[in-house]
Amino acid sequence: MQTKTKIYTVSQVNSLVKDVLAAHLPSWLTIKGEITDWKPHQSGHCYFSLKDAESVLPCAMWRSSFSKVKFKPANGLAVLVTGSIDLYVPQGRYKLIADEMIPAGMGALQLAFEQMVRKLEAEGLFAESHKKPIPRYPGRIGILTSESGAALHDIADSVHNRWPCTRLALYPVPVQGPGTAEAIAAAIADVNRRNDRLKLDLLIVGRGGGSLEDLWAFNEEVLARAIFASRIPIISAVGHEVDVTVADLVADARASTPTKAGVVAVPDREEVLSDLRNQERRLSGSMRSRFGLYGEYLRTVLASAVFRNPLLPVRNREQYLDDLCGDLGDAMREVFFQAHKQVQDSYEQVARIEPHRLLGRVTVELNELKGRSLAAVTQALNHKNLQITAQENRLAGLNPRSVLNRGYSITQNLRTGHLVRAVGDVQIDDPLVTELAQEHRIESRVTKIDER
Amino acid sequence: MAERKQKDEITKLTFEQAIGQLKEIVTRIEQGQIPLQDSLDQYEKGMALIKHCRDILQKAEKRIEKISKDEPPEPPPEEDPEPLLRG
Repeated sequence: MQTKTKIYTVSQVNSLVKDVLAAHLPSWLTIKGEITDWKPHQSGHCYFSLKDAESVLPCAMWRSSFSKVKFKPANGLAVLVTGSIDLYVPQGRYKLIADEMIPAGMGALQLAFEQMVRKLEAEGLFAESHKKPIPRYPGRIGILTSESGAALHDIADSVHNRWPCTRLALYPVPVQGPGTAEAIAAAIADVNRRNDRLKLDLLIVGRGGGSLEDLWAFNEEVLARAIFASRIPIISAVGHEVDVTVADLVADARASTPTKAGVVAVPDREEVLSDLRNQERRLSGSMRSRFGLYGEYLRTVLASAVFRNPLLPVRNREQYLDDLCGDLGDAMREVFFQAHKQVQDSYEQVARIEPHRLLGRVTVELNELKGRSLAAVTQALNHKNLQITAQENRLAGLNPRSVLNRGYSITQNLRTGHLVRAVGDVQIDDPLVTELAQEHRIESRVTKIDER
Repeated sequence: MAERKQKDEITKLTFEQAIGQLKEIVTRIEQGQIPLQDSLDQYEKGMALIKHCRDILQKAEKRIEKISKDEPPEPPPEEDPEPLLRG
């Protein structure tokens, strides 16, 4: 039996299979599937897989073919790919060498993602107003990722390279597979509950790149709501730059990849040190200029006359005082001089009055007045005497008794007391008295009245 | 005594508090809002804050602790759990 057994080499088997495949498969196949594990290579060739619900088919698209593809293939995209199956002999693996690729509507997961985004956006879970600020200098950062994944070291290194003084705490969680979203959500709730002891300033939730389905947990609603409910700020750091997950949208900040987490989470040590140096320079500079300024003040003050000759103000005041004393003496002398002068003037005025001479003059005047008034009085008297004599003479003529001298007489009725001028003035028996010159008197009585 | 006390207070500050105080001091001194003697004290405090900030930056340990998931309610967990990794 053994002798009949043909021994093949590995290469022979792979070549055989290659021939069988080429002989029995149509040379061109058009396959419907969803792109997954899309890996464009630097060379321009693309490597990816097509999948459906049950199965995955590895594919490659060479640069020449890929250049004809009009859209940008991405994971989760449903496509129709035309090509041929080929076996790569050195590795014994077959793959579809894709020649053409066209989109075939949207992949199911992609659709689910877009539906979730619309739902949560409508609820306001992505609103900027709900974003918690990322602390400037976080002292403790919690990392929620797989203990074994590369993402842990990518995140830790990116944080520590920028900011080595922060302390990192790993909370191990699964990052793919069933129940992942629930596990991460529970972890977020757990650290929030215990944070009075854990004292985490910030959480980073993430994992490395992978297919849409690998990252799917980060698109699930339960995780999105846990991130939204966290009181500790959360940075998402999921997959590659092009991968945007629901977790990225709801997180307080997003790092495009785990290696970028540090840039979002912490300041750069060199920048902070440079800022510190700057602050130090400003502080010293301000102090120097302040001291310079005060030193200048001091020099100015010291240079002033007061400090050069401290007694100067005293001397100045003494001089002022002396001046005042001199002024006061002058003033007093002036006052005395004026007063003395006034007294002298008054004395001279008084002396000029010469009372004895004044008296003499008044006596002369008085004597003169006396003489004049005496003469006036004498003259007036003389005048009056003359007048009186004249009047006397006239009166003497009028005196009835002067008539008596010429032989006339005056008869008076003694009974009536009236002079008898007519017959009617007397009655029979009336006593009469007749006055004659020389005051001789004759008394008689009426005896007869003759009225002829 | 007072200096010693101030130094202790500064070393208790977090980086954020220290750099916040430092910037206030720099602003105050630059704007000349405080008397000369006070500015000297503030200058010394500012220098102490700068030193404290540098100390924090240089004492970095680059280590990762691990938060245990199944924390028993009693007794409370250790302050510093075993570091998982050293960077």
